Amino acid sequence: MADRRTAGTDVPAVQLTSISKSFGAIVACDRVDLTLHRGRIHGILGENGAGKSTLMKVLIGLVLPDRGTIDVDGERCQIRDPQDAAGRGIGMVHQHFSLVEPLTVWENVMLGDTGPFDATAARRRVAEISERYGLGVDPGAKVGDLSAGVRQRVEIIKCLRRDPSILIFDEPTSVLTPGESERLFDVLRLAVREENRAVALVSHKLDEILHATDEVTIMRAGAVVKRMETADADAPLLARAMVGREVSLRSEASALGLIETVAESAADGEDSHHGEPEGVEDDSGTRVPALRLRDVVARGLDGRVSLDGLSIDVFDSQIVGVAGVEGNGQTALTDLLSSLLSAEAGVVEVDGVEVQPGRPGAMAGAGVAVIPEDRHASGCVLDMTVAENLFLVDIERISNRGIYDPAVMRRDAARLIEDFEIQTAGPDAPFWSLSGGNQQRVVLARELSYSPKVLVAAQPTRGLDVGAIEWMTDRLREVADSGVGVLLISSELEEILQLSDRVAVLFRGRIIGEMDRADVDLEELGLLLGGAGAADAAQEAGVSA
Amino acid sequence: MSSQQPQPAAEGPETAPTASAAAPPAPSRLREAGEAAAMYLGCIVAALIVSAVIVWATGGSWQAVFSALLDGSLRAPGRWGETIGIAIPLVVVALGTAINGRAGVVNIGQEGQVMMGSAFAAYVGVNMGGPGPVVIVCLLIVGALAGAMWAGIASWLLYWRRVPEVLTTLLLITVASQATGYALKVDWLLLAPFREDRSVRNQVSDQLPGGVRLPRIDIWGNDFPISAIAVVLMAVIVFLLFRRSVWGFRLRMLGRNPRTAQRAGVSTVKYGTTAMLISGACAGVAGAMMLSGGDFGNYRFTPGFANNIGWEGLLVALVARSHPVGIVIVAFSFAGLRAGSGFLAATGVEREISQVVLALLVLALLVPPAILFIRQRRRALSATRDRT
Amino acid sequence: MGGFLSAIGDVVTNDVTYSGAMRFAALLAFAAIGETIAEKAGTLNISLEGMVLGGAFAGALGMHLTESVTLGLVFATAVGVVVASVQANMSHRLTANQFVVGLALNTLVLGIASFLNTSIQPVSKAAHRFEIKPLSEIPLVGDAFFNQPWPLYLVYPMIPAAWWLLYRTRWGLEVRAVGENPQAADVSGIDVNKRRRQSVYIAGLTSGLGGGYLVLGQIGRFEDAIVGGQGFIAIAAVIFGGWTMRGVIGGCVLFGTVNSFRLTLPTVGHELNSELLSAAPFVVTIVTVTFFAYRTREPRALAQPFVRGLT
Repeated sequence: MADRRTAGTDVPAVQLTSISKSFGAIVACDRVDLTLHRGRIHGILGENGAGKSTLMKVLIGLVLPDRGTIDVDGERCQIRDPQDAAGRGIGMVHQHFSLVEPLTVWENVMLGDTGPFDATAARRRVAEISERYGLGVDPGAKVGDLSAGVRQRVEIIKCLRRDPSILIFDEPTSVLTPGESERLFDVLRLAVREENRAVALVSHKLDEILHATDEVTIMRAGAVVKRMETADADAPLLARAMVGREVSLRSEASALGLIETVAESAADGEDSHHGEPEGVEDDSGTRVPALRLRDVVARGLDGRVSLDGLSIDVFDSQIVGVAGVEGNGQTALTDLLSSLLSAEAGVVEVDGVEVQPGRPGAMAGAGVAVIPEDRHASGCVLDMTVAENLFLVDIERISNRGIYDPAVMRRDAARLIEDFEIQTAGPDAPFWSLSGGNQQRVVLARELSYSPKVLVAAQPTRGLDVGAIEWMTDRLREVADSGVGVLLISSELEEILQLSDRVAVLFRGRIIGEMDRADVDLEELGLLLGGAGAADAAQEAGVSA
Repeated sequence: MSSQQPQPAAEGPETAPTASAAAPPAPSRLREAGEAAAMYLGCIVAALIVSAVIVWATGGSWQAVFSALLDGSLRAPGRWGETIGIAIPLVVVALGTAINGRAGVVNIGQEGQVMMGSAFAAYVGVNMGGPGPVVIVCLLIVGALAGAMWAGIASWLLYWRRVPEVLTTLLLITVASQATGYALKVDWLLLAPFREDRSVRNQVSDQLPGGVRLPRIDIWGNDFPISAIAVVLMAVIVFLLFRRSVWGFRLRMLGRNPRTAQRAGVSTVKYGTTAMLISGACAGVAGAMMLSGGDFGNYRFTPGFANNIGWEGLLVALVARSHPVGIVIVAFSFAGLRAGSGFLAATGVEREISQVVLALLVLALLVPPAILFIRQRRRALSATRDRT
Repeated sequence: MGGFLSAIGDVVTNDVTYSGAMRFAALLAFAAIGETIAEKAGTLNISLEGMVLGGAFAGALGMHLTESVTLGLVFATAVGVVVASVQANMSHRLTANQFVVGLALNTLVLGIASFLNTSIQPVSKAAHRFEIKPLSEIPLVGDAFFNQPWPLYLVYPMIPAAWWLLYRTRWGLEVRAVGENPQAADVSGIDVNKRRRQSVYIAGLTSGLGGGYLVLGQIGRFEDAIVGGQGFIAIAAVIFGGWTMRGVIGGCVLFGTVNSFRLTLPTVGHELNSELLSAAPFVVTIVTVTFFAYRTREPRALAQPFVRGLT
C-alpha cells in the first residue's frame, strides 16, 4: 500500500476510459472519461440524473459498465463488486443506507470485510483513525445513538479503515452544518495532501466544488461536458456547463447550491413573491395563524424525545422555512403534522381550532396537507395505481354512501394528471412505475386537491433535477399566493432562503431562532444551525412570537 | 413492523422528462399473458410429476391414483355434488382470509376458528329448539360470533401488546381443539346423552334434529346444501367490496402502507380489528355450515370435526391471491382433491397422498407470481430508478 | 388449599418432574436455537414445525434402515436441511411470502411423513440413557441434566456454539446486519439473501436434529402427531426471549416444563384434566409472550423480503 501511494504522480490513480452504461433505453453514461490523480481532490459536478452516481457505482463495482475500460494505477482491470474495489484500494463514503443502527461503531466499520474476525484489533483501528483525523468517534458507541454528523464520520472511518488510495464522497455535506462541512473538507485535505490519496467529490452544489476541489469534471445527461482546473472556473461558467443553458444565478441559486447568491437576493428583497415581506408582528394581534404549534413535545417511534417544546406560527399566504441540520427533529415535526405522532404536551391549532395530531387522519381532516420527506413511507402506496394514489386522502369526495365508481375516479385522475403535467402511462399505471419527480407531482396534486389551509413541504425537492426543482418551487409559491400557509422544512439552506418569508431554525427539537427573511445574516444563521446561542435564541423567539 | 427510521428515497432522482416515453417497449400484453399461463401450467405439471414419482417410488401406480382422484371428484355418479359440499366451507374460509390479508393482518388460525364456530353452532342447534329456520339462522350467527371471538383474541393481543398475530392465531388452534374436545366430554356441554342401546359412549354430540339441517339441492343425483348459493353470493359481495367500496379501498391502503393509511385517516386498530373479526367470523360460519350442511360428520360435532378445512381454506386464499373469483375456482379444485382421495383405497395407495399433491400444488403455484413480480420490478427499476 | 400446596410440594420435590421438563425443553431448544439465528437474519420461519416433523420421521426411517441411532440423527439433520432449502430458496431467492411458503411446507411435510409412515411403517426405538457420573448424583436436578438419552446432550454444546456464531464471528455479524438493515448490509458488500438462506439452513439443521432427538431420544417411535405444535412453541420461545440466546433458552425451559406436565403430573400421582394439560403449554405461551415480550428488540427487517432497489 505504502509504495503504491508514493508512486510517481504521472501514473493516474484511476483512469476510466470511454465508459458507457445503459439501463434499458436510457443511457446513464455515454463514453465518459475520468482521470483521478493522487494528491488532488477531483470534483464531479452535475445535476441529479446527470450520470455521476452511476459512474461512481461503476468505480466501486455496484454497476458493471456496458463498454469502456478501467485502469487502476496503470493496470487494466475489471471491478466486479465492492470487495473487489476495496481490494484495489477504492473506497466510497455513502450518502445514506450503509450503517446498521443497533450495531456498534466498530461492528459497522468492519461490516463487509473479509479475513479473520478480531474485535480488539477492529476497535483499536477505529480509535486510531478517529484520532488521526480528529473525528472524535467512540468505537464502542451504538450507531443508533449518534447524530447524523457523527454517523457520517463513522462512514468515513469505515472507508478509511481499508486504507484506500482512492476515496469517493457522494454528496457528503447534505447532512452537515456549515461548520461540520468545513471540518470534513479539512479531513479531505489531510487525506490528500499528507497521505497522497486521490479523492473524488460528487456534488451538485457549485459552492462546494469551487471551495473544496482542485479540478472538476462536469457531467450533463450522461456525458462529460467540461473538464477544468477549479482555479480557472467561476460559478457562472460551471452553472452554464452543468445545466446546458444560460441560467440566472439569482433565480436558480438554490437549485445550484449557491448560498451567497441566495442570501444576497434575500437581503435585497427583490426575489420576494410578495411585494413586501409579510411582517408577522404587524397583524399577529388580529389574525389567527393557519397553523400554530405551542410548546409541543413529542417522542419519535424509537421512544426518544424528538420535539422538545417546539413553537411556531404559520399565517395565511406565508412561507415559513424551517432550517436545520438533519436529525434535529424534522422527521418528527413532519410526522406530527401527518397524524403519525401524538403530542405529549403542547397545543396544535389549525385556524384557531385545536387538533389532536395522533388521531388517524386528524391533521389531514383539519386541512393540513403534507408533502412528506420520504413519500414512500407516508405519502403514497407504491402498489396502488396513480389514480388511487390521487384519492388516498379524500376518496369520500367521489363516493356515495361508501361506494365509489372506479370510472369516475379514473376520469378525475386524468384531469389532475393533465393539470399537474404528470408523466405516466395513464391513471391505471402502478404508482411505482413513475419516476421520482412525477411521484412527487402526484403527491402534490393530491394534497392540493382537498383545498388545505396549510401545506407542509418536507424536503420537497430532494433528489429532483434542476427543472423539476424549479417546477416545484414555483408551485409552492403559487400555493402561498393562493392564500395557503406553507411550512417548508428543509436541510437545504439555499432553498429555505430562496422561498421563505420567515426563517426559523430548528435545533434539538425546538425553534431556537426566528427572523424575517430580509433580516437574515448568513453568519449568524450558520451559528444558529450549529446550536450556538440556543439559550438566548429561545428568548428571541419568545419576543418575536 | 414498519421501521421508524426515515428511509431516504432509494429510487433517487428524476430522469429526463422523456424517460418514461423512452423506456424499453414492454413486451405485448398478449405475450406476457401467454408466458404467465405457460409458467403456471409448467409448475402444475411439475408438481404432479413429483407426486407421481412419490407414488411410483413407494410401489403404487400413479395412473391409478390420478384416475381414482378424478373419479372421486367428478366422474363417478354424484361425486361433483360431494365436491361442491366440500368446497363450500373452503370458499367461506378463504373469503375471510382474503379480507384480513388485504388489511395486512395475518390470520393463520382458521382451523381453530372453524372448530369454535362448529362447536358453538352444534350447541345452539341441539339445545335451542323452536322453528327450524330460526334455529338455523341462530346457529349460523352464533358460529360466526364464535369464530370472530377466537380471531378477536389474537387481534386484541396484537393491538394491545403487539403480540405477533402469526403466533397467537396459530397457537390458539390447539387451544380450540382441546377446548372443544373437553366440551365433548361433559354432558352439560356437547356430549350426547347416554343411550341404553350402546355399550360404548362415543365422544360425539347429538345429531342436529331434522328441521335444523340445511336443505339440500339435488341435480342429477348430485346433491349439496343450499349454502352453496349463499357462498356464491358472498363471493360476489366480497368482490364488490374490494372493487367499489371505500372500506375496501381503505383496507387495501392499510395493508400496503400503514403509515400512509394512518395519515389519510384509516385507523390501524379499527380497520385491522374489523378485518380480523370478519375473517374469524367467516371461518366460524364455515364451521356452522359444515355442521348443518351434512357433508361433514353427519350433522354431529365430533373431535377433529374441522378436519383441516381451516388450513385448506387458508391455502386456497393464498393460492388464489385473495381474488374472490380465483378463490371459488381454487376451492373447487382443492375440494375435488379431497373428494377424490376417498376413492384411493381401491388403488392400494394411502389416502395421505392427496395431502402431498395438494401441498406440492400450493408450493408450485407460488413460483410463477414470484418470478413475474421480480421480473416486473427489475424492468421498472432499470427503466427509471438506477440512474444517478 | 392445603391439598393444592402439598401437591405442588410433591411436584417440585420429585426428580421425575425435572427429568421430564428437561426432555421437553431440549426439543424446544434444538428448534429455537436455529430459529433464533434465522430470525436474526430476518426470517420468521413458520416451517420450523415441518422441519422438526421431517427430522423426526427421517430419524425413525434412518434407524429403521440402519439400526443405528447415530445414523438416524444424521438422516434427521439432512431432512431438516432439505426442508430448509425449500423455505430458503422460495423466500430468499424467489422472494415469495415467508408465511405462505412455511404453511405449504408444513402441510407437505406432514403429508409426506404420514404417507410414508403408513406405507413403510418404520421400526425404531429410543436411544439408551447415558449417565454422566458423578454429576447425575446432584439431588433433584442431577438426573434431569446428566442422566438422559444421549442425543439430548447434543443440545448442550449447541447453545454456546450458536451464541459464538452469532456474536463472535464475522458471519454472525453479517447475519445480524442483514436482519436489521438489509439495504445497509447490501451496500457494505454483503449478499443479503445468501446470508438469509444460510441462516435458514442452520435452522433446518438444528431443528432436524431436534426432530431426530424427539423420535430417537424421547418418544421411541414415529407418529403423525409427534411434534404437535412444539415447533410453533419454539418460535414463541424466540420471541419470548427477546432474540437473545439466554432469553430464548429461558423460554424453552419454561414452555418445556409446562409441556411436560402432561406426562409427569400423572406419574407423580396427580390427575388433572387432560385437555387442560394439553392446552396449558399453548395458553401459557400466549400469556407469557403477551406480558413479557416487548418487541422493541425485534430485528427490524423481520419477515420482510429483500429485493435490491426496493424500499
